[in-house]
This record gives sequence, C-alpha cells and structure tokens, in this order.
Amino acid sequence: MTNKKKNPYKSQKAVIQEIKRETQGIKTFVLKPEEEFSFHCGQFAELMVPEIGEAPFAMSSPCYRPKLLEFTIQNVGFMTSRLHKMKEGDVLGLRGPYGNGFPLDDYNGKEILLLVGGVGFPPARALLYSLIKEKSKYPRISMCYGARSPEDIVYKYQIDDLKKEIDFHITVDKAESNWKGHVGVVTTLLDKIKINLKNTLAVVIGPPIMMKFGTLKLLEVGFRPRDIYLSMERKMYCGIGQCRHCLIDHYFICKDGPVFKYEMLKNLPDIWE
Amino acid sequence: MSSEMYYIGKAHWGSILQRWLEKYTILAPQAQKGGLFLKSVTTENISSIVYEEARPVQPLKTFLFPSLEEVAGKDFQPEKPWLFLNVKACDLKALSIFDRAFSGEFTDPHYQHRRTESVFVSSDCTQPWSTCFCTLVGGKPYAEVGFDLNLSKIWDGFVIEIGSKRGSALLEGYDEALKEMVKEEREALEKMRRECTQRVDKQNKKFSFSKSHKEVVSKHWESKVWQKHAETCVECGACNHACPTCHCYFLDDVTRKAFVKLRGWDACMYSGYAVTAGGGTPRPQLFERFRNRYLCKFKHLEENYEMIGCTGCGRCIEGCQGEIDMRETLKDLSMS
Repeated sequence: MTNKKKNPYKSQKAVIQEIKRETQGIKTFVLKPEEEFSFHCGQFAELMVPEIGEAPFAMSSPCYRPKLLEFTIQNVGFMTSRLHKMKEGDVLGLRGPYGNGFPLDDYNGKEILLLVGGVGFPPARALLYSLIKEKSKYPRISMCYGARSPEDIVYKYQIDDLKKEIDFHITVDKAESNWKGHVGVVTTLLDKIKINLKNTLAVVIGPPIMMKFGTLKLLEVGFRPRDIYLSMERKMYCGIGQCRHCLIDHYFICKDGPVFKYEMLKNLPDIWE
Repeated sequence: MSSEMYYIGKAHWGSILQRWLEKYTILAPQAQKGGLFLKSVTTENISSIVYEEARPVQPLKTFLFPSLEEVAGKDFQPEKPWLFLNVKACDLKALSIFDRAFSGEFTDPHYQHRRTESVFVSSDCTQPWSTCFCTLVGGKPYAEVGFDLNLSKIWDGFVIEIGSKRGSALLEGYDEALKEMVKEEREALEKMRRECTQRVDKQNKKFSFSKSHKEVVSKHWESKVWQKHAETCVECGACNHACPTCHCYFLDDVTRKAFVKLRGWDACMYSGYAVTAGGGTPRPQLFERFRNRYLCKFKHLEENYEMIGCTGCGRCIEGCQGEIDMRETLKDLSMS
C-alpha cells in the first residue's frame, strides 16, 4: 500500500476497550481502532494521548487480529504517566504500523530462542502468537524471560498456557523466599537449557543493558552474529524515517528496524546506549 | 554549459519581475542590518534586490520547512506560490537532502507542496563571504542543476539560463528581450565564475585535504580532536538551525486541541535530543553530540541519501557563539 497521498502525521482514533493491570507500573491497553490496523509482529505504532504526546510502542497482540490491538506499557515518563491515568472508553490516537517486524520467512525451519527482559515481553508475545500459530514450521520454540522481581512479571495469567506450547523458562533478578523459581539475570538461564546451535536463531528483546549482555552471552554460547536478531529502541518522534532521532549510525530504527541482525550492527559504536 | 542561455538587458528585467509579482510572492535577498535577508519583494523595494555577493542569512528551509508548523489537525491549506530569486548554488543543492528525506514511502505533504509549487531562480555568487567553502565540499559558487532559471549578472544585465519547462514558461512573451548570448558575454560569464571559484579556493586552501570527508569523520572516532573543538560549544543549536540541510524535528501534541500536532526544528546539539522516557541517551557528553553532528553530515546522510549534508554555505561558522569552524575541525581530524 502506498502512503503517498496520506498525511503521515495524522492519527486515527482508537478507543480503549479494556485496561488490564499487569504489575504495579505496567498496564495492558486493549484498543479498538476506527479502521482495521494490519501489521506484522515486531512492528510498532505511534500511540498518542490527545493534547499530551505521542510515543512508539510495539503491539503485543497477535498480528492476525487487526481489529483489536493490545499494548503493554510501563509508566516511565511524561506521556506514559498520563496514559496510565486514562480509563476504558477514552480515545487515543494511533498511527502506523511502522518498522520492519520479525522476518518470519527467515525463521521457517529453525529452532527459535527468545531471550527477553522486562517489558521486552510485549513484542515477544506478538512474535510468539505468530510462531505458535504455525508451530509445525519451527522444530522448537524456547523463551527465556527475566523480570526484576516476581512482582514485575507481566502476562502472569498466560504463562501456564505458554508452558504447554513452548519451552518456557523464567527467572527474576531478586526475590523474597516465597519465590520457588530461578533467581538470577536472564542470561543465567542460557546455561540451563539445551541449545541446538546448528539450527537455532536467537531473538533478543529488552532494556539496553539486558540486550547488551544477552547478546554477548549468546556469542559466548556459540551463536554467530548473523543468527542473533535484536529488537532495538531509541528516542523516536516520527516513526517514518524523517526526524532522525532514532538513528544508530545511519540506520533508522523506525524504518530499517526495529529488528536488526546483530551482524548488521556489531561494528558500529554505541549501539547499546 | 547548456545551450539555452540568453542575455537580457536591465530594462526588460524590470518588467519581467513586475509580471512575476502578479502570480508569485517573490522572496529575494535584500541588505539590512546583519547581512542579506530573504524578504518579500514589493513594487517599492524591487530596486534593492541584491543579485550579487553570496548567500543570504536564512536558508531556504526557513520557508519550505518552517521552524514550527501544524502538520496534523486541519487539512493542509496551500499558500500562494513562492518564487525564490537569487538562490545561491549551496542553498539549491541543500534541497536535494530535503527532497529525499521528505519523500518515498511516507511523503510529507507540507514540504512537498511548497517545494513543487515554488519557483527557484538562482544566481551566481560574485563575492564569497569569509565563511564560504563550497569548493571544499564538491560545490561551485554557481548552480548547474536544480534551478528553473539561473542568472549571472554581466555588465548591466544578465545571462539567463533556462533550467526547466517552468523556467521557460516564466519567460513566455519576452522572446524579443532575450538575445542570443554573444562571445563577449560568454567570456565575461566564464571569467566571473572562474574568479569567484578561485577566491573560494584561495580562502580555503589551508583547510583542504585529500581524503574524503566520510573517511576523515568515520576513522577518527576516538580522536581527541572532538573534545578539543567542542570545548567552546555552548550547545545553542545555532549550527543546526542555520544549516540548510539539517532537518531533524520533534512532534508536539501539547496543543490544547485534540489530534492537532505541531512539528518544530530540533537540534542534535541539545542534551535532551535523544533522551528517552527512562532518561537514557546514547550521547550524554557534549563532545559526543558534537562528533555525531559531523558523522551525520559526512557519513550518515551520505549513506541515507547519497550526498553529504554540507554544501559549504558556512552558516554554522557564521552563527557559532563559540567560534567553532567546521573547516578547522575537519582539517585537524584529517591530520590526526
């Protein structure tokens, strides 16, 4: 579809249908857009709180459900703090989808390992929905997920179901004694699981520091840079490759990414900041 | 040189301008305190248009990509078309960056409308400013492409070159005023261009180097030159705002009107430029932002749009409160 005649800065309206509280500071917003919003998993949208501001967020719902979108959003700044005060029935602005998304064609026939930290789970969940829907294409799907504490785990209500579908491992950085699971940063899970290096692709999504050490650990385990996929993030306004805020070297995260093979970025300075 | 070149005398020129005024808002350089400024031409000030010297204070983006404008909300309203008169080669060239940045998969209707509706009549530089360095970055002090018409001031009239169909249409009905260019006029034109080019070359001789700009900025990431030259930077963003190719922008919804969005010029020299909601930034230190600006100009833009983001207009030097001279920084880097 060509966007040449459309004003790319205009948002469509999206009504908040439901708000789910995930953790103390994280909510999932279920949105009904005015027009159907077709996207690929791993793409993102610009969500706008009217008269307040706009920011990029990855859809966390399945891409085969374009009429009802979910965004899982942490309350961290000017725009998200206002967003967290909004109620069901309120109207947001929505434009996109933007970015490349996960290259599912490349993943066909491969074992997929997701290494995910914190609020990297939302885009990872969109990917999982797509992978699980065509499960026969992927000999194995594993996910290692790390949260700061048991209280910071998102989608708790889905984890048991996920464990039936994929090889799911979870850890927390810190926990009280009533936590029965694994404790340690997410990379420590990689020592616990079996990885078929010959046929596995890794996908890393999370906060910058986790992305950095996650990638370094994957390299140490034996992954090749071309087999590691990163979903990158930076300050962003336009989402359409114009405003230049999200550049990593000459790559626009919003247009050339947000999904990059580590191979593409490995020699560039300051990619983890 | 194109064959579509004519000579036109001063008398006819005045009547052509009068006719253009009926259809266009003519913006042309005029002298005022502080230098040459692009101002709206009226019947009263028509005689004070400056055809010679070098580029004015404002870059063309001031009009084509204003510092603050509404980009979403009410539907886009076209304005009376502009005719930019006496655009210098450096400023004309800079538009190629904008053309690339604001077209493609997502086309910006605001810039595109103004760009395609506007007419560009360029004119040769006759006397470079001390900050001019077009020839250091592959440019010339006269335009060879990208104009509708180009003027070269010769004696008491102009050599006029037609660069587009629109340019040709602008001269319709003036066939008798357009004289075939004679040998003497051609020679005068060539001499003027050669001398101005030599003046630019001469004043920049000490800043020249043989390596490519891309190589110079990208191979010295760790160099101490960045810190040294960033020392007097006060992070005012003048270099960004004055630059004819800088087009970074922010979007703002704090408009008191739902779904109305403003777009404004941003500056990568500002410390908050790349700061995320969580407070992180890839360039917390001033010298890192300083270095990034050079990398953007000479490497990133080149990789994005196949042309460097510098046309040698010298506005970043002229506007710098810290007296930072890009030519010195580049020369220093080339020797480090």
